[in-house]
Amino acid sequence: MKNLSDAMLPILTLMAVVCIWEFGVRWAEIPSYTLPTPSLIFSTLLANWSSLADSWWFTVKITFGALLLACAGGILIASIFSLSPSLERAFFPIAVVLQVTPIVAVAPLILIYVDSTTAALLLCAWIVAFFPILSNTVIGLRTIDRNLVDLFRLYRANPWQRLKLLRAPSALPYFLAGLKISGGLSLIGAVTAEMVAGAAGRETGLASRILEASFRTETPKMFAALMLLVLTGVLIFMLFTALSRLLLARWHGAEPMGHRHRNL
Amino acid sequence: MIWRLIQSLALMAALTSLTHAQQAVTFATNWKAQAAHGGFYQAVADGTYKKYGLDVTIRQGGPQVNNRPLLPARRIDFLMTGNLLHSFDNVKNGIPVIIVAAMFQKDPQALMAHPNQGYENFSALKNAPVAFIAKDGQFTWWQWLKVVHGFKDEALRPYNYNLGPFLSQPKAIQQGYSVAEPIYIEQQGKFKPVVHLLADHGFTTYSTLIETRTETVKNNPDLVQRFVDASIIGWVNFMNGDRSKANALMMKDNPEISVAEIEASVKLMKQQGIGDSGDARVQGIGTMNAARIEDFYQQMVKAGLYQAKDVDLTKVATTQFVNKQVGVEPKKN
Amino acid sequence: MRISTTEPIVELKQASKLFNTGTTALADISLTIDSGEFVTLVGPSGCGKSTVLRLIAGLESPTDGTLSAPALSTHQHSTAFVFQEATLMPWASVFDNVWLPLRLQGLSNQAARSQIHTALKNVGLEDFAQAYPAQLSGGMKMRASIARALITEPQILLMDEPFGALDDFTRQKLNDDLLRWQQERGVATLFVTHNIAEAVFLSQRVLVMQARPGKIIHEMLIDQPYPRTPEFRASIDFLQYCRELSNTLERAMLSEVTPS
Repeated sequence: MKNLSDAMLPILTLMAVVCIWEFGVRWAEIPSYTLPTPSLIFSTLLANWSSLADSWWFTVKITFGALLLACAGGILIASIFSLSPSLERAFFPIAVVLQVTPIVAVAPLILIYVDSTTAALLLCAWIVAFFPILSNTVIGLRTIDRNLVDLFRLYRANPWQRLKLLRAPSALPYFLAGLKISGGLSLIGAVTAEMVAGAAGRETGLASRILEASFRTETPKMFAALMLLVLTGVLIFMLFTALSRLLLARWHGAEPMGHRHRNL
Repeated sequence: MIWRLIQSLALMAALTSLTHAQQAVTFATNWKAQAAHGGFYQAVADGTYKKYGLDVTIRQGGPQVNNRPLLPARRIDFLMTGNLLHSFDNVKNGIPVIIVAAMFQKDPQALMAHPNQGYENFSALKNAPVAFIAKDGQFTWWQWLKVVHGFKDEALRPYNYNLGPFLSQPKAIQQGYSVAEPIYIEQQGKFKPVVHLLADHGFTTYSTLIETRTETVKNNPDLVQRFVDASIIGWVNFMNGDRSKANALMMKDNPEISVAEIEASVKLMKQQGIGDSGDARVQGIGTMNAARIEDFYQQMVKAGLYQAKDVDLTKVATTQFVNKQVGVEPKKN
Repeated sequence: MRISTTEPIVELKQASKLFNTGTTALADISLTIDSGEFVTLVGPSGCGKSTVLRLIAGLESPTDGTLSAPALSTHQHSTAFVFQEATLMPWASVFDNVWLPLRLQGLSNQAARSQIHTALKNVGLEDFAQAYPAQLSGGMKMRASIARALITEPQILLMDEPFGALDDFTRQKLNDDLLRWQQERGVATLFVTHNIAEAVFLSQRVLVMQARPGKIIHEMLIDQPYPRTPEFRASIDFLQYCRELSNTLERAMLSEVTPS
């Protein structure tokens, strides 16, 4: 019961916002090309469902593709760093550079160097998503209960056993925290890159639909595509929060960030 | 004809001196200052707008700037747009704006290619492996090129206003204004590109249009008339008279352009009959006729950009402010 | 004073430990532990009790002096350690936690199964094999930790204030249980605690340490045979031992107040 009432509050708030939006726009007679009503956005969404759905799927593919690559790269490099402090010292600054470079500035360059637009979009999204996973996993691999380290030493565990049985599980909450962050960032990276690319044609995502709608002054359609993007971001967040909870449920409070769940 | 001109000017001046102080007006363009905006800058520089009682501020556009929403939002008074497709979209979506003049009878939108790569013929362009087209074009005239001329999306690459990728790939083609980019390409790439004007292949839209709000046309037609007339005079003076002050003003707004480039561009504009050609020679710069607009629309419907009933053509443009032979006189050069 | 005549399990001879922070944790420590003995180390905070344990466990090396373990087999499972916190892996079940030492030796889940279940039964956790540490109380977690320590049938058991975080009642219960497990296996045990009553109840010998630098200043023999019952706790002898230990500890703490 508590879970239900917990969920009701944000849902009610959302409904209230939508109602205020709908009636506010109507009452103030704001034209649809400035700010469309939620009902108009929704009907536009339905009317254009097939093209918007295709673009949505493309954006989702890029987002998750880049995320997968970011996980692979992040975990691999974090493991290497954890085994070799000198490699970490050597290459970590490069990773930081990747993180702080604004993707908006870098995307045009990447689009010039990389021939396939899809590959360029993947790369841009990857750059944005990679660092949080790397840095969180590095910290996680290092932050181990000191006594457990001693215990493993006492029983003379080899490095592989240490990595598999001690460090990897220890790092899991940190990795998942990084994943939650990177999920949203990957979406942002994909969208930003596509905005910069301004690619029309078949293989395009929601960002291109937004651009197209804005150039054709089809404001309700622009909002419809935007709403889909926002929805995707929210779904990604919920997905990884649920994943986190599922994997860490038994730890009960082992999550280093986010709120803890206590069964009272 | 000269007398008509002098008469109109005198009348305007008289009326203006009777009215109160100069009216402040903002006019936004669709690109950074270049020769294709010359007439407007001329009207500011040589005082023509002032003579018509207007204190005009020109607000330039640019690659990352989109001035179009400013007009319905009442942040600007007049807007320059590149082609009629924008107007069709506006009317289709119920945006209360309308075209009042067309400064260019021919759209300088063009496709360019490297010489000696087999692109001397327009029909060869569709087979180019790579075509650099900017966002605006991708969603508008590129669609027309696909349907009517067989261009393919596979070749499409985003054009981010950097000539580098085009210059380094001999088989690539890219978009540009026929009176501008070829000059830069010659400078940077040291070759004269092959230029194909879309207007020569069926893209018959008017260009460099003056757009304003329908409420302005309804409530303040005198203001619109003055702005249109002064702009027309500005263009006449720019193309045929002393441009130096206008050039200086454009270079102030856009330091990247030079006098040589502007002059070269003006030469091309005259050569290609962009502004003062066809109907404009008779009716004056800015002239439009409904039949041509209708014809262009039908072509776009055929190209699949619109459905036949999407746009009420009567709302696209009004000819009430043009076709008055303003500025028409025997040419000097 | 040594009780047994066979070789000691562990012998520290004049061992010192100097940390690279410059602190001398231990100076000139000598002690022996015989097979099956229960020895307790008590002393004020910072006297180096934990360091002694870690030296013997091999987690630190003495800067000076020697550590020898002649009767200790060289197998990795001969030494076991129980920490102050239960130190269970929170992501693993009780079963998997107890499995760990055997697993590190290469024993599979199947092969170790019966040993693990026996170990859990011995500490009274047989119904909680699939539970996770977060679901257990403090006392239960400590039992699991002890089960893990004992599963390799160690020859020496090192315990660093294991019951410090528990309430009195649980602590007493675990003291009783610990003695029973220890006597059943005859495993030599070195136990560190702050708690005087616990030290007296559990051990045959109590070594009192003083701090800065860490030294053993007194050895007390508790002449009470095993098994020790709750009655022992109520006896006069117990009280006397406690008083003596308390006085010694006080001296140890006072002698600390020397300007250096």
